Amino acid sequence: MAYLSISNVSKQFGDTTVVDNFNLDIEKGEFVSFLGPSGCGKTTTLRMVAGFEIPTTGQIMLDGSDITDVAPNQRNVGMIFQSYALFPNMTVAQNIAFGLRVRKETDDMVKQRVQEMIALIHLEEHANKYPFQLSGGQQQRVSLARALAIHPQVLLLDEPLSALDAKIRVSLRAEIRSIQKSLGITAIFVTHDQEEALSISDRVVVMNVGEMEQVGTPFEIYNFPKTSFVANFVGSLNTSKATVVDPAGGILDMNGIRVHSESGVQGKKKGDVVMVAIRPERFSFSWEGKKENVTEGTVENITFLGSVVRVQLLIGGIKFNMDTFNRPSLTLPKIGEKCEVTFSSKAVLILDD
Amino acid sequence: MKLKFKSLWSWIWFLIGTLYFILPLYATLDFSLRMERDTIGFKAYRVAFADPKFVETFARSNILAVITIIVSIILIVPTAYWVRLRLPQARRIVEFITLLPFVIPAIILVFGMIRVFSTPVRIPFTDIILIQPLTTLIVNKFHLGTYILIVAGYMILALPYMYRAVDTGMRTVDVRTLTEASQSLGANGFTIMWHVILPNIRASLLSGALLTYAIVVGEVVLASFLGLDTFGPYLFLLGQHRAYEPSALTFVAFLLTWAAMGIIQLVSGEQGQTAGAH
Ligand SMILES: Nc1ncnc2c1ncn2[C@@H]1O[C@H](COP(=O)(O)OP(=O)(O)OP(=O)(O)O)[C@@H](O)[C@H]1O
Ligand SMILES: [Mg+2]
Repeated sequence: MAYLSISNVSKQFGDTTVVDNFNLDIEKGEFVSFLGPSGCGKTTTLRMVAGFEIPTTGQIMLDGSDITDVAPNQRNVGMIFQSYALFPNMTVAQNIAFGLRVRKETDDMVKQRVQEMIALIHLEEHANKYPFQLSGGQQQRVSLARALAIHPQVLLLDEPLSALDAKIRVSLRAEIRSIQKSLGITAIFVTHDQEEALSISDRVVVMNVGEMEQVGTPFEIYNFPKTSFVANFVGSLNTSKATVVDPAGGILDMNGIRVHSESGVQGKKKGDVVMVAIRPERFSFSWEGKKENVTEGTVENITFLGSVVRVQLLIGGIKFNMDTFNRPSLTLPKIGEKCEVTFSSKAVLILDD
Repeated sequence: MKLKFKSLWSWIWFLIGTLYFILPLYATLDFSLRMERDTIGFKAYRVAFADPKFVETFARSNILAVITIIVSIILIVPTAYWVRLRLPQARRIVEFITLLPFVIPAIILVFGMIRVFSTPVRIPFTDIILIQPLTTLIVNKFHLGTYILIVAGYMILALPYMYRAVDTGMRTVDVRTLTEASQSLGANGFTIMWHVILPNIRASLLSGALLTYAIVVGEVVLASFLGLDTFGPYLFLLGQHRAYEPSALTFVAFLLTWAAMGIIQLVSGEQGQTAGAH
C-alpha cells in the first residue's frame, strides 16, 4: 500500500467539477509535482490533501489511515504558500517555533529544534528578524523551516517559487529538493512551470481541466508524451495529422511525405488518421549524418535563442520548428533556401488524441 | 512654467482649506481664554473642570465609550473574520449593513429604539405580557435597560468605522492564508484568533476604538432622548447658559480628538514599518 493514496477523488464547487476522478499513489520519500495550466485544479487537489477542502467523492489515505474528513489541524501535513504566509508579528525563530508551541513541546525541545531548522535553511544571522526585514527567498525558506519543524508526514508546496525572481527561483528549488531528499520527506509540489516540474521531481502529474493527463517520470513525460495536451504543454512541439499507410511497418503519410515511426501504430488500421509529434531538437541537417527519415524543407525563418538556434521549416506545406545547438562551427542555410533534414523513427511520437 | 502655476494654485486652495478649518478653532481658543476682562488666562478652563456635573457626565461618557468599544470588538472581529474566511459572497451585504448608520439619522434610530423597547411584548389580541419592556429593567435604581439600549445604539453609530477598520486590517495581513498556515501547523481556533489574528490587526483595532471613542464622548441625540446625563447633552446645555466654558470644553474635545488621530497615525505608521513588532 502506498504511503499517500488519493483514490477516485472528485471535487465540485456548485455545479462545476474542478477535480474529476483523481487517482494517485505516492511512495514515502517521493517528490511528486502537479503540473498544469491555470485553473486546472492543482491547488484544489493539494488543498484536499491538506484538509482545507473536503472531496465531494473519493478517499485520501495517509500512512494507512483515512484522512479524507480529518480537520487540517489534526493532520500532520506541512503547507507552503506562494505568499509565504509568515506571521508578521513574530520573528523568524518564533515563526518556526509556532507549530512546536502549539504541540506543547518543552522549551528546551523547541529551542533545539528551532536552531536545527535555522541551520538547515542557513539563516543563523536572521533568527531575530521579522518577516518584513527579509527578502522573498529568505521568507520562503523560513516558511519551509516552519513547516518542516513539526516533522510533517507530507510536505505540500503550492507554487512556492512563483513570487520570486528567476535566479532565486532556480537556486531555491534546488535547495528545496536537496532538503527534501536529505530528510526523506514525501512532497507534493504544485507548479505551472514545466521546467521547474521536470527538473526537481521524481514523478510529474500533468493535469488539464480537472483531469490527470499523464503520470510519469520527467523522462517519460518529456520523451513519451501520451496526449497532445502533454506534448504541447511540456516542451515545445511540432504536431501534425498523418494517415496510417502500413500499421505493421509503422509507415505514415504526412501530407505526402512518407514518415517512419517506431512507436506503436499497431492499434490502428490502414487509412486511420493519427496525431504525430516531433520535438524540434530531434531534427538535424542530413549532411550531419542521415537517420531513418529524410525529407526536404524550405527555410522560412531563423531565430537565435542563446544556446540553441531555431529554424522554421516548411515541410510538405506544414510548419515545423527545428532546434540545433548554437556552436561556432554551425553552418546554416539561408532564408528561402531548400535544405535536407533528417530525424529518427524514434522521434516520431504517436499521440492518443 | 505651467507646472509651477498649477502647484501655486494647489497651494492657494490648500491655504484656503486650512484657514477654513483653523480659523473657527482659533476663534474658539481665543474666546475661551478671555473670561477675565482684559487678560488672557485659563479661568474658563478652571471653572469648567471644577463643575462636579462636568466630572460626572464626562466620566459616564468615558465608561460608556469603553463598554461600547469592548462589546463592538467582541462582536465585529469574529464577524469580519468569518465573512472573510467563509462567506466572501456575503461581503457586499455586510458592508451595506455597516453603512446604514450613515444613511439613517440618529434621531430616527433613537425613536425606533424607544418605540420597540419601551413597549411590552404581548400575546397578540390579548393583554397578557410576554416580555417587559427593556427600559423598565432597573437594578437598585440603576437604569440598566436604558444603558444597554444606549450602548447598543452607540455600537450601531460606530459600526461603519469599527467594521471598516477591522476589515481593512484583515485584508492587509491576509487573514485567510495566515489562518490556513496556522491550521496546517496544528493550531486550533482560539490559538489562531489570540496569537495570530488579533496581534496582527492591533493597529486597526486601535484606530476603530479611538474613532468609536470620539463618537461616543461627543454624542448628543441618543443620550438626550434616552434621558441619560452624559457629556454631550451637558456640553449642549452649558452652551445655552454660559459663554466661555463651552468654548473651553469644545477646544479640549478637539484636542482629544486630534490626539486620538495622532495615535492612530503613529501606530498604523509603525505597524506598516515593523508589522507589529513586540
Ligand atoms: N472555493 C471555490 N469556489 C468555487 N470555485 C472554485 C473555488 N476554488 C477554486 N475554484 C475553481 O476551481 C478551478 C480550479 O482552481 P485551482 O485553484 O485548483 O486551480 P489551479 O490549478 O491551482 O490554478 P492556478 O495555476 O491558477 O493556481 C478554478 O476554475 C477555480 O475558479
Ligand atoms: Mg493554484
